[in-house]
Amino acid sequence: MAVLTPELRAEAERIKARYPAGRERSAIMPLLYLVQSVEGRVTQDGLREVASLLGITTAEVEAVAGFYTMIRLRPTGRYVVSVCTNLACALRGARGVLEAARRTAGVPTDGELSEDGLFTVHEEECLAACDAAPVVAVNFANYDRMTEATVSELIEALRRGEEPPPARGPFPGDFRLVSRLLAGVPESVGAGAPEATATAEEPLR
Amino acid sequence: MSVEPEPVTLTIDGKEVTVPTGTLVIRAAEQLGIEIPRFCDHPFLDPVGACRQCYVEIEGQRKLFTACTTEVAAGMVVHTQNTSELAHEGQVANLEFLLINHPLDCPICDRGGECPLQDQTMAFGPGESRYIEPKRVYRKPIPLSPLVLLDRERCVLCARCTRFCDQISGDRFIEMFARGAGQQVAIAAGEDFRSPFSGNTIQICPVGALTASTYRFVARPFDVHVADGICGHCSAGCNVRVDVRRGEVVRVLARDNAEVNDAWICDKGRFAFRAADGPGRVTTPLIRERGLEPASFDEVLGRVAEWSRGARVAFLTGGRLADEDAFALSKLARVAFGTNDLDHRRAFHGGLAEELEAASALRVTYRDVERAGAILVVGLDAEQEVPILHLRIRKAARRGARVFVVHSRETRLSDVAEHLLCRPGQEGAVLERLIEGGAAGSDEERVARALRTAEGAVVLAGSLLAEHPLATDVALRLSRRLGAGFALVPRRAGDRGALRAGVHPALLPGGRRLAVASERAEVEAVWGELRSSEPGRNGREILEACARREIDVLFLVGVDPLRDVPDAALARRALENVPVKVVQSLELGELEPYADAFLPAAALHEREGHLTTWEGRSQRTRPVRAPAGLSRPDWEIFAGLAEAVGAPLGFGSVEELREEMEALLAPREVSERPTAWVGAGVPQWLDEVTLFTYPLLVDEGRLSEGASELKAALEEPAFVEVHPEDAERLHLADGGWARVRTGAGEATLPVRVSSRVAQGSVFVPFNQPGLEANRLLSGRFTAAATLEAVPGGGEGARGGEGIAGPEAKT
Repeated sequence: MAVLTPELRAEAERIKARYPAGRERSAIMPLLYLVQSVEGRVTQDGLREVASLLGITTAEVEAVAGFYTMIRLRPTGRYVVSVCTNLACALRGARGVLEAARRTAGVPTDGELSEDGLFTVHEEECLAACDAAPVVAVNFANYDRMTEATVSELIEALRRGEEPPPARGPFPGDFRLVSRLLAGVPESVGAGAPEATATAEEPLR
Repeated sequence: MSVEPEPVTLTIDGKEVTVPTGTLVIRAAEQLGIEIPRFCDHPFLDPVGACRQCYVEIEGQRKLFTACTTEVAAGMVVHTQNTSELAHEGQVANLEFLLINHPLDCPICDRGGECPLQDQTMAFGPGESRYIEPKRVYRKPIPLSPLVLLDRERCVLCARCTRFCDQISGDRFIEMFARGAGQQVAIAAGEDFRSPFSGNTIQICPVGALTASTYRFVARPFDVHVADGICGHCSAGCNVRVDVRRGEVVRVLARDNAEVNDAWICDKGRFAFRAADGPGRVTTPLIRERGLEPASFDEVLGRVAEWSRGARVAFLTGGRLADEDAFALSKLARVAFGTNDLDHRRAFHGGLAEELEAASALRVTYRDVERAGAILVVGLDAEQEVPILHLRIRKAARRGARVFVVHSRETRLSDVAEHLLCRPGQEGAVLERLIEGGAAGSDEERVARALRTAEGAVVLAGSLLAEHPLATDVALRLSRRLGAGFALVPRRAGDRGALRAGVHPALLPGGRRLAVASERAEVEAVWGELRSSEPGRNGREILEACARREIDVLFLVGVDPLRDVPDAALARRALENVPVKVVQSLELGELEPYADAFLPAAALHEREGHLTTWEGRSQRTRPVRAPAGLSRPDWEIFAGLAEAVGAPLGFGSVEELREEMEALLAPREVSERPTAWVGAGVPQWLDEVTLFTYPLLVDEGRLSEGASELKAALEEPAFVEVHPEDAERLHLADGGWARVRTGAGEATLPVRVSSRVAQGSVFVPFNQPGLEANRLLSGRFTAAATLEAVPGGGEGARGGEGIAGPEAKT
């Protein structure tokens, strides 16, 4: 099943054309973001579509997609809450921040996705801001020096529909929108993708 | 490109060695006989340094180096584990690390006893592990295809399998997923490892992570007999090792030979090994009394000799005879029976190219292909016909060769080659335009220029080109014009040997022309005077003569005309009208109702012999077991028959036979003459579409019988492939059904719409389940055809699900 609308497929071709002839496969990351902006994640159909756009195998696409935590292969909420648990953050209490985030978001034990489908909470390897540890990112925008209390507040605010300002830059918007920005395709193109939140959580492969 | 790299001298473990610049330390050590343990390193794959096992100490460097990724330098002083405690410790520590998650299930692992991990742990590693925590557990095994199974917990992530698929076969179905702590070899969900080279990943896996479904839990290396053989499935001539357990072939492996198959074989060569052990095998001579009844060889040969005395006799063979058999047959027919009615071919192109090949006057080798600056492939789908040549062309492309393919269907070289698609039969015209240099601004002009300017160009002409009379001579002429090498690439293992031996109505051994007295005399000097100097009938003419009752005795040696000849109706008429049919083969098959006598032949791995590759390289194959039952090598049967008719062939052993062969089959110079080719002319399309066919690698062929896993993995049911514009014009839908009509018959087949096939032509595979395509043919592998949609099976009916299945009528 086609994931991309004809308009977005044309956009995908334009993305491909940014790369030198014979090196089109370099477009793999923006295309994965583009698919993610439609699906809110990247499904097998999405992987296949990227593969066919680039003329490579699905396995080659999945090998790349599976490496990057920004490309989500499992059902994903509107907000991806990444909690850094690497050394500096861990020493400053990241474990407790992670637990508080999971609790507030309502993520079941051994899962990532909140029961209401709004949040994905996961551990991140490093968010590159040790001076501001512990760091939490929401849809790739950092919130510095988090505590159990401030992370819970942050999640509650998101649930209320507020747009709490990150440490730097503007509020990123929902996960599909952010993926669209990362794909480098304006929001207006091919708008009208159905709004849906993830539901069932698939088992880890 | 022929510049030799500078030699470099270095010291390894106190010994000096001089190697070319760019050599890896691990290779230099091998030259000194120093073994450095390794898993990821493979001489035919690019270095990667993934397993970290080959640590060595290099003087003046602070850290250990991986010998498989480090190039030599002048004056370098290397210490391996033999002379460096540091290197030894590094290797021991790395092995302990690799074994942390390895299950150590050697007693139940297929690799046990021949496992590099097991062997190198014993030789170089720690005797014990300090790891006491629970090991990683995965669901197992995961079938990557019906042939290849994956046990992930055994994997050491050396990436040999994924690199093979990336660098060698180009079939990138498996990859490293979840790179990081959970990294594992995997295949995309819902996909199959559909590569005809998949089995190589099993053989190069240095642990038991990839195993073959055909060999899982079947044998241990110490309870098999092995012999070095040559694969008999095609003309590639792959060097193989055949494993026999309790008399049955259980496995075929590739042997390394950098001149021929590198370290690879195709999946057909690897997995289609049961034909000689199948229920259809007949190992007793039979004679028709009331029915076909067992008899002794002497009795059957005596009766056959009686029938043949003074009779009009003809011989047809297929492509599986060893060189010795073909030579003995050529002599038998001409000396003992005085007939030139013998042929091994399915297409009768004739011409100078064929004669040059028969005389071994053309010498293009795998190495020439590998080093070519440009390669032109004409009428050959190498992946399906001669798979290892396909890999060699890919290797050349990786080294920078420009590759061009003139064919009616895009081949799997498409990622490394440019295709010039043309309607079947028009290859000759394309070649002519290339000879002339191509019209200004055309693709042909560009291709012609690339071929002309390349260093060491090679032209490879396949059997689809040989389908058209003298078209191969145009390819030859093009190669002469370009100063390029030229080879005719036959498909079957015995084709080149039979052509050289003179299993041919007009050519004697060594390509000597029967009709030319001086050339005939060279053969007569060895064989004695030949009774006839008139060229005989070719394969098709033999069948036509049989049908007209102009032949009394027809010998069918390793051939089933009902299936092999591109005219099923003619084959049937021939068999119905020729009075005596003598079948010499491994099995009777569909010939059972026709055979008057049956002579059981030994299988390739049951006898001594040679096979000649498409290059003209004759390679020895050795038996791994005795001939089954009473079966004998074909040449022995021919010798027996010659005795029975009172005209002995004069050789009692393979050695004597080979002596005579060597005298007549030494390469000869052939004076070049202008070809009789008069030009392709202007194409005229009277037919709606041109149907063309050739056999795919995995099909219903006799030698693949019993290879159920291989067929499950790679065999496709019959289909008809149509170009999108033709499909639109003819109202055919992808996945729908079409009725295909030719002058010979009709068939209803699932439709594949694909721009892989040239416009105006449709492709039907020769012998897939559901259709023996020779029912649609009248002597050639192309035919004028009409197609119409079959509405009943139309919407939604897809190829694999057709319950009624394709049907064929004649």
